[in-house]
Amino acid sequence: MAELSVQDLHLAYGDNPILKGVSMDLNRGEVVSLLGPSGSGKTTLLRAVAGLEAPNRGTISIGAKKVFDGAGAVDIPAEARNLGLVFQSYALWPHKTVSDNVAFGLKLRKVASGEIDSRVKKALSELSLGHLGARFPHQLSGGQQQRVAIARALVYNPPVILMDEPLSNLDAKLREEARAWLRTLILEMQLSALVVTHDQGEAMAMSDRILLLNNGVIEQQGTPQDMYNTPRTLFAADFMGSNNRLEGRIEEVRGGDAKLVGEGWTLWGRKAESARQGEKGTGMIRLERVRLAGGPGDNVLQPELATSMFLGDKWEHIFHLGNTTLRAHGPEALAKGRQWLEIPRADFWVF
Amino acid sequence: MAALAPSPDHAPQGALAGLFSWRSLTILLTAAAVLGPLSLIIYQSLLSAPFFEANKSVGVDAYRFIFADSDFWKAALNSVLIATGMVVIAVPLGGLLAFIMERTNLPFKRWLEPFILVPSFVSPMVLSFGYVVAAGPVGFYTVWAQDLFGVAPWGIYSILAMTIIAGLTHVPNVYIYASSALKNLGSDVEEAARSAGASPFRVAVSVSLPLIMPSLLFSAVLIFFLGFELFGLPLVLGDPEGILVLSTYLYKLTNKLGTPSYHLMAAVAICIVAITFPLVLIQRRLLVGARKYATIKGKAGRMRELPLGPWAWIAFALILGFVFVTVVVPLSGIALRAFVSSWGFGVKLSEVWTLDGFREVWNEPTHKRAILNTVLIGTVGGALTVACYTAIGFATHRRNDGWSRFIDYLVLVPRAVPGLLAGLAFLWVFLFFPPLTPLRTTIFSMWLAYSVVWLAYGMRLISSSLMQVSPELEEAGRSVGASRGLISRSITLPLIRSGLIGSWLLVFMIFEREYSTGVYLLAPGTEVIGAELVSLWQGGAIDIVAALALINIVLVGIGLAIALRFGVKLRD
Repeated sequence: MAELSVQDLHLAYGDNPILKGVSMDLNRGEVVSLLGPSGSGKTTLLRAVAGLEAPNRGTISIGAKKVFDGAGAVDIPAEARNLGLVFQSYALWPHKTVSDNVAFGLKLRKVASGEIDSRVKKALSELSLGHLGARFPHQLSGGQQQRVAIARALVYNPPVILMDEPLSNLDAKLREEARAWLRTLILEMQLSALVVTHDQGEAMAMSDRILLLNNGVIEQQGTPQDMYNTPRTLFAADFMGSNNRLEGRIEEVRGGDAKLVGEGWTLWGRKAESARQGEKGTGMIRLERVRLAGGPGDNVLQPELATSMFLGDKWEHIFHLGNTTLRAHGPEALAKGRQWLEIPRADFWVF
Repeated sequence: MAALAPSPDHAPQGALAGLFSWRSLTILLTAAAVLGPLSLIIYQSLLSAPFFEANKSVGVDAYRFIFADSDFWKAALNSVLIATGMVVIAVPLGGLLAFIMERTNLPFKRWLEPFILVPSFVSPMVLSFGYVVAAGPVGFYTVWAQDLFGVAPWGIYSILAMTIIAGLTHVPNVYIYASSALKNLGSDVEEAARSAGASPFRVAVSVSLPLIMPSLLFSAVLIFFLGFELFGLPLVLGDPEGILVLSTYLYKLTNKLGTPSYHLMAAVAICIVAITFPLVLIQRRLLVGARKYATIKGKAGRMRELPLGPWAWIAFALILGFVFVTVVVPLSGIALRAFVSSWGFGVKLSEVWTLDGFREVWNEPTHKRAILNTVLIGTVGGALTVACYTAIGFATHRRNDGWSRFIDYLVLVPRAVPGLLAGLAFLWVFLFFPPLTPLRTTIFSMWLAYSVVWLAYGMRLISSSLMQVSPELEEAGRSVGASRGLISRSITLPLIRSGLIGSWLLVFMIFEREYSTGVYLLAPGTEVIGAELVSLWQGGAIDIVAALALINIVLVGIGLAIALRFGVKLRD
């Protein structure tokens, strides 16, 4: 049974539509990421679920309870939805100590004060904040503030926890640690979480399922592996991962494969639904799937090496093929001049 | 030795030197205009007689005299009582109104806001007079209430009534600070509380109001301070019962002793400043503290207003009630009184209707000149004042040196000197500083005093405009090779133009409203409506006072209408 269910949600600011019919489910113990570029409506969707935005149409249910119904005029206010919300800015109350911040939700639920104390202590120690209860938010580091915000949202055991870009206010190094930590925490505590992020790496690492939003609609949804390995649209393919992009014309379609022809090159790849013979097409391959080949062969190009960059664990090579730029990874520096590059058929998508 | 002090760069020396002297000239003139009159008061307070008399000696006789006068202590106690009462009334009400207007879905609230601010734009002298003719013993509302209910259960000539009226008419001062603090408060902290399960009321009590506490504290100090400045209200409402506060005690000293007792007035003035100046410094500290608090705020953004539900009616009634008592009652009283020849029990409005008040104003050159001067000092004078403030603003803009800090504190000084005292000090300056004496009977004397009295207010307007110019825009100008002066003229000034025009309108309204600064500067040639009202009220010319007060309201109203039409922010 879905803990959270959104059906055909529409939302507009005046004449400007933000959500154009979004449907999604979140099951118990599942982490779902809302991924998309800025302006795709992912934060608006999260806020609508929280009751902080007013949708125009559609329904939102939490468990068996309908909290919003555009038709039936049901609109449970934010404070009665019993959700945990973690803000991008953390939104810790600066005039309350860490303990008071965490305790506030329990106080509002009329929990006995002795129990409040023990539950706050437990929540803080679970998030390794046990010794910081008496501090004020501005006396904490960014990472600690983030954990307080999470403790505050978890302490009253909401059925669903909503997180708006929970990691974006941390610096790069801390973010990677926090990502692993957050994933572990969510699994251990068996939380149902809806997480907004614009970072595909973060989405893949943290979630069981990804909803990719584009321009107010869901472009594709699936497991991280599905999303990465079998994107259905050019947008989905382009948004997940770093890619090489080749523009050409689809000259032949044979079964599930398509032949893409550009200026001085021809490549076979897997045909996407939208690809039509005789029309313009875009080929795409993940950077890491491009192989440096020793010589000519099937689906092999011969571009000119422009430059090589040392990245530490590997080299990144940049090639020119006519007007197209291609990038590939390799274990060592390459000699100047033309190189052989293999574009494996199975990893090359033609849209 | 020359090698030890190499020229740091090869910028055009002439331009730099010129700018430097322009800047020092501005700072010097400002310092003279602010500190000159103040030091004259201090000097005078330490003499045993007016400073123009021959047989004077230096000492603390003046202080000894007033400290021995029981009326002085009574007046001081009254001032403390009234100021405290004003804080008790104005701060909670102002905070509540601000929360309702900023955070809830009250209907028509954008339309109501200007009315809440009106009491801060009408001269306190005019408002007090309005209360006398509307709710005094034979005021319009008193008579109507007697006719309708047989009883009018209020009196306005008591300390309590004065405190309530002063408290209510100072609500806008609190409202302005509380609502701008609420505006800057990120809505995410409130949304976090709502997601945690807090009702709108709980959000206000547990999160919003505690977070704007620094601003409320700041306005509490401000109101307390303004309580010591009160002059028009205790002059009009305290007089019938002989209730004095410090400012009216000072004003009445001359009557009491029959001779110009400048040394005693100066001593009282110093006592008032000794109370107000620390309050101004506390305010400054609190304001800095409030800004620090604001930096911890979350992301300010779009938020759903808190639904009031059935509470909307109570909130609506509260605001309408406030507007009725502080705006409708006094202003309608004046408007009616200006068109009748007399009023009292058993008088019918239709029988006493007249335009005589306005005819008298029109036939008396003094009053006509007062109107003309008031308009001129607001328009032309206001423009000049804004130009001066802008020059001072540029002298400190993006410079963090000793001179800037000096100016920062300097502009606070006039804030601590109530208009009545400042006017007195300027009178002495014009009388006894020979180069300025010929200007004594021109409107220039009035303009100078007004500009110095409102220096702190004006500088806040100017510097908030200047601060909105991103430093990168000016740095970009410098990196392409423009000098400071050129950047100010060709980049900064054009960018703050609309802010300056807005400041001009606000200064216009302030100058139309001003009355106490002119009380001692009033002379043939320097008449302005505000000061004329004080002098005519003392003479008992009610009809003319009503007509002039109405004209004054109309002038302020025109300024307010233009400001609203062009979307000038009525507060910073």
